[in-house]
Amino acid sequence: MDRKEFLKDCGRMGLAGWVLSIFPWLESCSDRTRQEVQGEKARIGIIGTGSRGLFHIQHLLQMPQVEVTALCDDYTPHLEDAAQYYPSAKLYSDYRRLLEDRNVDGVIIATPLYLHAPMTLDAMEAGKRVFCEKAMAYSQEDCLRVYNRRKELGAVLFIGQQRLFDPKYIKAMSMIHEGRIGDVVGVRNYWYRNNNWRRDVPSPELERRINWRLYSEYSRGLMTELACHQLQNGSWSIGMLPEQVMGSGHLVHWTKEDKRDVFDTVSAIFTYPNGVNMTFESIISNKHFGMGEQILGSQGTIDLVSGLIYSDEPMPKGSGIHQLVTQIENGIMSNSVFAGTSWAAETSPLAPGLPIMPNVTVNTGESTIGAEADGSKEIIEAFANAVITGRQPEKILEESYYASQFALLADRAMHENRILTLDDRFKVPYEPIRNRA
Amino acid sequence: MKDTVITVAVKRRELWIWLTCFIVSNLVNITTIICYTTPWYEIFTQLGYVTVMSVLLYALTVVARLVWYVVRRLTSSEDKR
Repeated sequence: MDRKEFLKDCGRMGLAGWVLSIFPWLESCSDRTRQEVQGEKARIGIIGTGSRGLFHIQHLLQMPQVEVTALCDDYTPHLEDAAQYYPSAKLYSDYRRLLEDRNVDGVIIATPLYLHAPMTLDAMEAGKRVFCEKAMAYSQEDCLRVYNRRKELGAVLFIGQQRLFDPKYIKAMSMIHEGRIGDVVGVRNYWYRNNNWRRDVPSPELERRINWRLYSEYSRGLMTELACHQLQNGSWSIGMLPEQVMGSGHLVHWTKEDKRDVFDTVSAIFTYPNGVNMTFESIISNKHFGMGEQILGSQGTIDLVSGLIYSDEPMPKGSGIHQLVTQIENGIMSNSVFAGTSWAAETSPLAPGLPIMPNVTVNTGESTIGAEADGSKEIIEAFANAVITGRQPEKILEESYYASQFALLADRAMHENRILTLDDRFKVPYEPIRNRA
Repeated sequence: MKDTVITVAVKRRELWIWLTCFIVSNLVNITTIICYTTPWYEIFTQLGYVTVMSVLLYALTVVARLVWYVVRRLTSSEDKR
């Protein structure tokens, strides 16, 4: 989906006129900004050209306003792979040298989690505009450090929370804020896979460098790599931040064949000040339920992943005489017409959901690199535009900051086996995303 | 094969029976409107269903009367013996 299609989708959502006032970060890929950057070039350097870096390159290649001028990776095969797409780009093995390059205005950081904070801080200090993959940092302290420093420098900083740019999420959140499913009474997130989460390693000494996600020295596992995307659904839909979090994490299945030390099975419950719970569960040794993100309302449910809305209101059953005939057909004449059923089994209703907008693209969550049409291209394009305009979109950093903070807090809760609240020193100003209508 | 004559009295009787079935069907429709709290305009919009139901009820009366006729024939022939 290109930008025009994205905005067309916004139009189809009925949001075109006021979408930017509710979701102000979308200004960075609006028609006005597009006109503003026309004919200009965003000179971008990519730090980290592994699988996710290459995924971004596939999108960057389609953007006329982007010129990739530098590439950096300390693993030569990855660097060479990326260089095939941009033969004229300068190649670096040390990111600090890339940051000294005057032909680079903005950088995309797609490196292991433990490098996010130092690289982001260095890049902002060097005056670059920065897009960094989620999570924001390896520790809560580093998240705060990055947030505060960006504020002091007035830098442009995007974190790779692409759902903020996915049309079906924007439409769904807009419907939730309009009250289409009543009060939000619960948020369910889950992400199931059945694979060992490993990449092929050409020689054993590269194991920890390539499979960094599996080692707590470099990554916080499922919470920072997967949950981080889904946790923002809670604050986005409920309009507040969780008050406390509890969780449980264990290495259940993938213990025999390797030395990983991050959990392969996690469950977390985030409780909001109004008592609403948001859950996150991930198991990577069973994929039956795939990926799911569901906002449960007092009058209905929205499934964010499939883009379907389910109403709790009973479906119209037809005329009275038709209902009578149906009951006779069902053989339950005896207790129906004059009394009605007093009890019904609380099984899931079979009524099909209705699409919240046309042409919904569903991401199964199975890819370990990235999915098409999930907002990934749009967020990169918005960043490219911001590299040219120098404007930091509103609210997007706060959403990303808290998604990272709560992912890290839940990871801590699992390790310490305690119910935790976010320490006051980690709290930054937060204005919930709500309909102003 | 001989001509069959349906007398006016028989025609009138059958029409009255069907009309009764039609009224009963309408009463069932009204009952379902009350029980299922559906709109009152279904008295008119569901006339198709009501008519079909009245024909089915009429067919049931035909079957019932045939059974009654056969039973009576059998019992009267036994009495004659």
